Amino acid sequence: MDYLIFSISLMLVYIGLAQLLHIQFGLAGIPNFGVVGFWGLGLYGTGVLYVKLALPLLPSIVMASLLAAVVAYVVAHLVLQRSGQAILAATLALAAIISTLVVSEKDITGGVQGLGTIRFPFSDLDQSNLIFMIMLLVVVCTLLWISGKLRDSRLGRQLVAIRDNEELAASLGKDTAASKRWVFAITCGLMGVLGGMSAPLHQFLVPYQLAPSLTFAVWIALVLGGKGHNLGAIVGVFVTFGLFDILIETYAPVPAEQAILLPNFKLFCYGVLLVMIIMFRPLGILGVDKPRVRAVPKPVPGGHSKPSVEEVEP
Amino acid sequence: MKLEATNLTKAYHAHEVVNIEKVTFGAGGLEGLIGPNGAGKSTLMGLLTRRIAPTSGTINLHSDDKTHALNPLRSHQVARIGLIKTNQRIQGFDSLTIRDSLRLAATPPRSEGFTSLFSRQRDSEEIEEKVSRLVEAFPFTDRNGYAMSGGEKKLLDILRCLISEPKLLLMDEPTAGLPEDITRSVMDMVRERVLAGHMRVVVVEHDLPLIWEYCDYVHFLSEGAILFEGAPEEVKANRVVAEKYMGV
Repeated sequence: MDYLIFSISLMLVYIGLAQLLHIQFGLAGIPNFGVVGFWGLGLYGTGVLYVKLALPLLPSIVMASLLAAVVAYVVAHLVLQRSGQAILAATLALAAIISTLVVSEKDITGGVQGLGTIRFPFSDLDQSNLIFMIMLLVVVCTLLWISGKLRDSRLGRQLVAIRDNEELAASLGKDTAASKRWVFAITCGLMGVLGGMSAPLHQFLVPYQLAPSLTFAVWIALVLGGKGHNLGAIVGVFVTFGLFDILIETYAPVPAEQAILLPNFKLFCYGVLLVMIIMFRPLGILGVDKPRVRAVPKPVPGGHSKPSVEEVEP
Repeated sequence: MKLEATNLTKAYHAHEVVNIEKVTFGAGGLEGLIGPNGAGKSTLMGLLTRRIAPTSGTINLHSDDKTHALNPLRSHQVARIGLIKTNQRIQGFDSLTIRDSLRLAATPPRSEGFTSLFSRQRDSEEIEEKVSRLVEAFPFTDRNGYAMSGGEKKLLDILRCLISEPKLLLMDEPTAGLPEDITRSVMDMVRERVLAGHMRVVVVEHDLPLIWEYCDYVHFLSEGAILFEGAPEEVKANRVVAEKYMGV
């Protein structure tokens, strides 16, 4: 039971990260390959504040997330106006720098010996892990709701326009650089929140957790589910992490000799799935969803004619 | 609104594309800019809207009682002052419908902040009405869908600029790729707005009859320099223009 709660909590973190990546890449077109870096800043920031400075968990998470947001804002200033490949390389490099710093600054982070122990809030209660899972569920549901709101909003429409043709959007008076910068900083800050909330799940932090495999897992999930769909992240994580890491690895009756092959089999399946999706459904399983807006445009009486000045300028 | 460029040059490597001592746009209502291929017309338009950085020279925009130096500004800041340019090549937002594209252009940037996530209605009645009037005025194949053909995309590009209500509109070859009747209704709409005093317009065109018909003042650009300026009749009668451009 405890293991199931742990797995579901971990899956919620993945869904949250994929959802934030959907906002960054699916809506605004920013290819962030440093997901694990911003998540890791939240994770290790929370760990250091909680263990070394003995701060309570919640303020630690908030401060660590702010740190992630500030770093993201600075990175955004430096690279977001460059080409997609440059953003991709820079964010990937940032994640590598963060994981290297965690290993080298062992006085602060504990280095390879690790950092612990981080306890759940309300740890004197019996079901503290279940309570924490529900907290994570609330956070992720809020993220989904806000991301839907963003899709339907004027800001979301501007982001889509920037993704499609940034120069054209700028020529219509949109401050494209600022919009991208703020959206990137805030979503990376929220990745930091999820990182901070992952700290009590892992209890003990080691640099190995900052490996880029997390970034790739989130990317694969989002691309499979549908990068342009608000529910693509959920579907993608269910199909990858939910199906393989939880269902097959835990519950499938695989003999012990073969169980050792499971992680490789999983990667093989991800690869095949990814190739199939890119070949036959390049927009992902769910495709792209449209903004849901209340007002339905009414036809103007006496249309189809040449408009006069009064008609154009109401 | 008057746009003034002094000693403006643009060179690609050693090749000088634009070299203008002084030119003023926006003084004469609806103005035309004509010139042979490669004269530097589109480059000049790009320079004026800050999409291309000049090699040297200054560009100033006089509006009401203020003078804006355009050189340090970025593209979106120029647009916010009220200087907007339609595109010569087809440009568009592929994932926005015709209506969404126009709504985007009609929405002032300051109302597109994070607070817009929580507003009950995405677009005000006023914007919806403006959008509907423009969309209904032209024969789009699917008024609630996407711009299909190149012509529709080109038309949408011009409408996007019109709906954002610029003070000075630069139109780069508005007739290219558009059927004649559509061009005429667009130009009629533009002329009525100019006459009503809402905006000034500069049209870059190869379609000379259109220039003679609509423009109040014409600039002639050749080999990167303004060779002649004047009323359409004067330009038509000018020998330099005839030699360099009309091949007489």
